[in-house]
Amino acid sequence: MDFLVAFIPLLPFIAAAIIGFGNLFNYIDGVQSERITAVIAKSAITLSCLLAIALLAADLMALNSGIFIVGQWLSSGNLSIELNFISTGFSVIVAALFSIILAVITHFSMNYIHSEAGFHRFYFVLSLFSSGMLLLILSGNAAGTFIGWEIAGLCSYLLISFAYDRPVAAINATRVFVTNRIGDAGFILGIALSFYFSGTIDWVRLNEISETLATPTVTVISLAFVIAAIAKSAQLPFTPWLARAMEGPTPSSAVFYGAVMIHSGVFLVILLHPMIEKAPLAMALLVVVGLFTAIYSFIVGLTQTDVKSSVCFAISGQLGLMFLECGLGLWELATWHLCAHAIVRCYQVLTAPSFLFYVHRNPMKLVTPYIANKRWLYIASLQRFWLDPIADRTLVRPINGLGHDLDRFDKNIIDRAMGAPVSTNYTISSLTQLEKNLDKKAQHEIQVEFVRGSGMVGKLFEWIANIMSWFEDRLVLRGIGMDMVGIGSKLGQAAITFEQFILKPRYLVLFVFIVLMIAASI
Amino acid sequence: MIETDFPLLSLIIVIPLLGAVLAGSIRNIDISKQIAFFIALFTLLLTIFALLLFDADKSEFQLVERHPWIPILNIEYLVGVDGISVLFLPMTAIVTIIAMLASWNAISHSSRFHFALLLALEGISIGIYCALDTVLFFLFWELTLPPFFFLIGLWGIGSQRRSAAMKYTLFMLAGGVTLLLAIIVLATNHATQAGGQIPNDLSFSLPVLLTTPLPHDLQTLVFLLLLFGFAVKSPLVPLHTWLPTVAMEGPAHVVAILVGLKLGVYGILRFTMPLAPVAAVEFSWVLSVIGAFTLIYGALIALQQTNLRRLLAYASISHVGLVMVGIASLNMQGFQGAVFQLINFTFVASSLMLIAGFIQHRFGSTEAVHLGGLAKVMPKLTCFYFLFMLASIGVPGTSGFPAELLMIVGALGTHSVLGVAALFGAILGAAYMLSFTRKTFFGPIVHNYVNQAIDLQPREIILLLIPALLILWFGLYPDYILNINQVSSEAWLSRLITKTP
Repeated sequence: MDFLVAFIPLLPFIAAAIIGFGNLFNYIDGVQSERITAVIAKSAITLSCLLAIALLAADLMALNSGIFIVGQWLSSGNLSIELNFISTGFSVIVAALFSIILAVITHFSMNYIHSEAGFHRFYFVLSLFSSGMLLLILSGNAAGTFIGWEIAGLCSYLLISFAYDRPVAAINATRVFVTNRIGDAGFILGIALSFYFSGTIDWVRLNEISETLATPTVTVISLAFVIAAIAKSAQLPFTPWLARAMEGPTPSSAVFYGAVMIHSGVFLVILLHPMIEKAPLAMALLVVVGLFTAIYSFIVGLTQTDVKSSVCFAISGQLGLMFLECGLGLWELATWHLCAHAIVRCYQVLTAPSFLFYVHRNPMKLVTPYIANKRWLYIASLQRFWLDPIADRTLVRPINGLGHDLDRFDKNIIDRAMGAPVSTNYTISSLTQLEKNLDKKAQHEIQVEFVRGSGMVGKLFEWIANIMSWFEDRLVLRGIGMDMVGIGSKLGQAAITFEQFILKPRYLVLFVFIVLMIAASI
Repeated sequence: MIETDFPLLSLIIVIPLLGAVLAGSIRNIDISKQIAFFIALFTLLLTIFALLLFDADKSEFQLVERHPWIPILNIEYLVGVDGISVLFLPMTAIVTIIAMLASWNAISHSSRFHFALLLALEGISIGIYCALDTVLFFLFWELTLPPFFFLIGLWGIGSQRRSAAMKYTLFMLAGGVTLLLAIIVLATNHATQAGGQIPNDLSFSLPVLLTTPLPHDLQTLVFLLLLFGFAVKSPLVPLHTWLPTVAMEGPAHVVAILVGLKLGVYGILRFTMPLAPVAAVEFSWVLSVIGAFTLIYGALIALQQTNLRRLLAYASISHVGLVMVGIASLNMQGFQGAVFQLINFTFVASSLMLIAGFIQHRFGSTEAVHLGGLAKVMPKLTCFYFLFMLASIGVPGTSGFPAELLMIVGALGTHSVLGVAALFGAILGAAYMLSFTRKTFFGPIVHNYVNQAIDLQPREIILLLIPALLILWFGLYPDYILNINQVSSEAWLSRLITKTP
């Protein structure tokens, strides 16, 4: 019954392709074709769900051989990646569970999103996501899992920015995707490292081979994957993205951050547990991160006043506990926790909007006195421990600043050093700009210049000629000593500016980085 | 070398050139345009035919044609393809067709000359990919300048288009000088090795030069000369300043060809590294440091851009950096990933630039402040833009992913820290692309004229659909490309690795 596994991610993918192309060529458009779209998406995911259950049944009756190979996907030198799927054990159970949840939510969304502007877009993304998620779970190798991993992240981006004309939604979506990209980099690093150290990126083989590898090697590989898992499951220090992600429509919040996608980090860790167990450092990291995230989410969750935010911190807290369990080696418990949490949370997030109706008359419960009396803790909790501003300060702003400086460097120094015939980079777009430029030019022409050249060589000659003429003019004709003081102070000023520039932390960091890069490559 | 009797490659080079003359000399503009288009289409068919005739299991040059050209200096007309270059033929043809379609109605004056130049450029570019004689290569290399000069200078969209054309030409001429010098050094070295008779023992043919031993100091010289010449065209930092200028001033479809066909990087692959293998291995760390620097530098500057065309120019510079890191990693994954990425460029970079051109054509600007909320009025354009953007940042499912994965795996294997720099570049790539998308395509509509915008026309949809489908195809089944250049890549690598002391 192994062959069933290939169809499980394929069917929603076909549905997504039909909806996508149909919408592009105007075959599926507007309210009248909403039914068609919904039927295509629903039948695809329902069929996948039935196949997944059948596969699980077959697995329980021991009809599956464990791996199903479709064919070669990519081969280059000794790196060979097959399109293969796991058809037994943990992956199949999770696939069955998640496909049921996906089917339920696809069904639920039909009324929820009815006659909204992006109906078809929503179903396209949901089907694509289902396909990516099931690929993530069922793929037999790291590349396939990563493809699903990234497609799921992309769909999350598309649904957070579902109402793309709202600036906040678009900003949040971008931030979430870029944050997740850090985890993805860890994943690619993990793929590359496991290829170099063990020669394979098949999950099963990798777990087997890790027995024979040295502890440092296993630790490095495990750490790379653990970082990917932490980012995807919104653990510290990546937790803030989860709150931003709640911007999307409710069914998508339920499917992405309540029930399905958010668990893929834990899933990855459980999948790799034979290898991670060999790496005490990775286990310790799991414990620390899980524990701190659980505490963090608990404290922050106490002061949340809207339903989505409090659910969101409850989710990251529970995931923290799962990571903690993984780190302590309680794999069985973590597995049960994952499955149970997915079901409960799916229900909870889906009912979150109607929850507001149920509790309409009830006054809101006050914040626990325990935390209300501790002022600093209270503020920290309200501010979510300033994680977002800290990330801004330490990462976003220096990088942007560096980009800004480099941009100016590129325009003012490199472009000029290359001897552009005309500096064409500043196309004039307003009258004021034009006047400003003319002003500058006029001022420039007042200064006496002997000759003018262009390009490196031209400038060099210009320089020499100008220096000569200056000598003649100032030193020979006007006498020595008149301008020396002025020149000295100017030079001093320039040196101070240069020093200030070089002492900015971003340049120090960059300098260290470059030295490391060169040192490592020699 | 496998020679053929049927001059297929010569036909592929000559037909567009003759077509250019024909299209330029017909008086009726519409007929002239149609002739140009059908000739480009016919050339595409011929290139696909060449691809079908090509045997991917052989590493030597195929479809080779050899005729004496300047017998006194032993210069030959020698063309042929191997697994690395054969794929660029159909890609060049496709890019030309797409550029023609994109500019179909946008050219208001001297359109016959314009379409003739596009055809000529196609023939010359294919000539570059096919030429196996260094002088012939140099001829084609320099011949690309006049078409680009006129295309940028006459039909550019910026006010400084003339000086941009001038800047481009001067840069390329500067690079050309060192190329010519290197070619002469190689030829005289062959004469010295073969017996010292000049001009009788000179040789300019690439297959011969590849077997000629080259002393170590000369290797370093040839390597650096060739590297400089090609680095200008690639472009690598700090020789890149012509690209943002041309992107701002030149017509979008010409810039699309310029950023799509990475002739400079191809030159590094085809000439610089195989002709000076020992120096190439010695200097591989320099190459990868320059590559990583270009990668991060381009990405950081792209983060600051407010204009789509400048952003794409810097993104393209950043991608070239990654390709250099991939090549310099000197292993199969890095090299094949680099070639894969070069093929991607022809679709991804050029299509994005064409979309920028469509936006420019509709609103007269690609500045983010003049746009905003485009997704609402132009869903189809946004959809295509988004797909190409995803390919550009290497999201799985598009062809950018296998290429990027291979390059990063390759780089991590050889220069691990530079591989980490490549990963950092991948994060930055997502950041600059997505934040620009947010500013331009998402958000509320602020300008009234955006509301009146017309979405993509059927012609535009078709011309974007071709690269979009290819991106998905190569992304879902990358082995197609990798199988074609597998054997040639192995030969390329073994040449470098066996020559290492």
